Amino acid sequence: MTVPPTWPTGPEPVTRPPAWPAADLPPTWPGTNGLPALRPLIELAGVSRVYDLGHVQVVALQAVDLTVAQGEFVAIIGPSGSGKTTLMNIIGCLDRPTGGRYLLGGQDVEELDDDELAGFRSRAIGFVFQSYNLLPRTSALENVETPLLYQGIGRRERADRARAALEQLGLGDRLDHEPSQLSGGQQQRVAIARAIVTDPALVLADEPTGNLDSAAGAEVIDLLRRLHAGGRTIVLITHDPDVAAVAQRQIHVLDGRLHA
Amino acid sequence: MSPRELVRLALGRLGTSRLRSVLTMLGVIIGVASVVALVSVGEGATSGVTSRLQGLGTNLLTVTPGATTTGFTRGAAGSATTLTLDDADAIKGLAGVAAVEPERSTQALVVAGRQNTTTSIVGTTTDYLYVRAYTMWQGSFLTDPAVDAGLRVAVLGATTADDLGLDESSIGSTISIAGLPFQVVGILQPKGSTGPVSQDDQVIVPITVIDHHFLSGDSVRSIGVSVASADQVDQVTAEIDSTLRTRHGLSASATADFTISDQAQLIATVGSVTGLLTILLAGIASISLVVGGIGIMNIMLVSVRERTREIGIRKAVGARGRDILAQFLVEALTLSVLGGLIGIAAGVAVSGLIGAIAGWGFVFNPVTILVAVGFSLLVGVVFGVWPARTAARLDPIAALRYE
Repeated sequence: MTVPPTWPTGPEPVTRPPAWPAADLPPTWPGTNGLPALRPLIELAGVSRVYDLGHVQVVALQAVDLTVAQGEFVAIIGPSGSGKTTLMNIIGCLDRPTGGRYLLGGQDVEELDDDELAGFRSRAIGFVFQSYNLLPRTSALENVETPLLYQGIGRRERADRARAALEQLGLGDRLDHEPSQLSGGQQQRVAIARAIVTDPALVLADEPTGNLDSAAGAEVIDLLRRLHAGGRTIVLITHDPDVAAVAQRQIHVLDGRLHA
Repeated sequence: MSPRELVRLALGRLGTSRLRSVLTMLGVIIGVASVVALVSVGEGATSGVTSRLQGLGTNLLTVTPGATTTGFTRGAAGSATTLTLDDADAIKGLAGVAAVEPERSTQALVVAGRQNTTTSIVGTTTDYLYVRAYTMWQGSFLTDPAVDAGLRVAVLGATTADDLGLDESSIGSTISIAGLPFQVVGILQPKGSTGPVSQDDQVIVPITVIDHHFLSGDSVRSIGVSVASADQVDQVTAEIDSTLRTRHGLSASATADFTISDQAQLIATVGSVTGLLTILLAGIASISLVVGGIGIMNIMLVSVRERTREIGIRKAVGARGRDILAQFLVEALTLSVLGGLIGIAAGVAVSGLIGAIAGWGFVFNPVTILVAVGFSLLVGVVFGVWPARTAARLDPIAALRYE
């Protein structure tokens, strides 16, 4: 097989048995944004992250190897201080590894400068944060439009796509509400709409239920599950084993190392 | 992001904190308004002074005697008695000279009925009215027959007529000047004063009357020359100079015993002084513009700090550094340009008001407006760049965690 030029020659892709029955595979792969289908979406090879504090060096991640296939639902679980947030920042392209190699959709993150990385991030990844991180004093619709704004998409198309995403999440009647006028669960659903409006290959959820009561939390988890059933790749970061249990695969982080 | 998107974003943002935006803009509003108003006041004053100077006479040259030198002592300018009526006649014959009026004058007590005043009595010819750019209010000016015959007739300045309680009904009445009876034939329109000497407080009589009754000799105080057109002023000045030198027996290099002063020189001098004043006023006003700009910078820095988290969110969802830079820069520019436009409106209103009160009317200079807009844009860029760069360089991870 010839390797396409855009596909960097890295470590041999790991062939792993599917973690779920083949019959469950969705027939199509939405959210790939033209990235090669059925390749591993996330490939970390020997990734480490060392914080240089001048007099002392703190190792947050130590030679981590991780592969996530497209369409997978993976939970990264670990106590605070385990390095899972550092891992999330690196997977989310908010931070860069100090060692090893990270390919997202075949793209070596190290080859991109900060501005290119911002554009890549906006197309490839949708973030869901513990504290929602919606823009204050800004309507739900405009909040969901924001990532499209930075992709240079026209005003009308932005509004159409944002409205569709909000309606999909049952917020069709809350388009003009500002975050302060919405409940926590509703705010988190607006945040999820913002994460998927760009049709990203990966949804990265960082403790998405952390600030919610159990009913709203269950609703959010259910939404993530439905997004996954729709074919989207989801990486969920949590410290809660019950939340992690909904994922197909749990990866435990402890002291900067992975334990599958 | 397109400029339109950026402006929409900035306007939306400024709209959510209206009071703060207005207060921030106030600095620029005051700065721009004072620049516009003060420059306009300066220009209004210049044009007011210039038009008054032009009211002294059109293309006017004034020839005055030089100083006398007695032994080693040089007397005051004008003390010489070298300028004569014959000199005036010689100047009248030169090409490019439209009119000439010689003047001899003295001070005398003027009595009309029970009123009296002491004022200057100017003896001159009929051309005085044209050369000195007076107009008649009542009656008529001196006539050539009256001047030739040395009739005791008098034309009063507006202030003198007022002092003596004379009005339109007094034409034809008799007044006494230094004890001699004179018939009042006319009263002049007031002209206003230039400097300490009022042009309206005088009595004008035929020059021949002065010769007969008041002063001996034939020397004159000054000769007013009206040049036919402005571009002939230099040439006529040179001709008067050489004519008088010949008549007074002076070589071209000798010190002249007369002085020729040019109205245009005076206007140019006054113009340069008021121009300097305008620059000074504008300079002072632009200090307040700079202060307004610092106000914008201050509020933008506070805003960047307050909105650290927003910047983090925007970066996480795909904003590049330059998107954030542009967003904050456009916000600062929107503040300064909006403030500038409001300031121009305020400045134009204020200068119109001052112009109406001071009487030089509304002076509107589009260049000032352009400069003011340019300045407020510059203020926005200069004082907006630093906060915007601070915002653009924030680390998204740290910004997202910022509380």
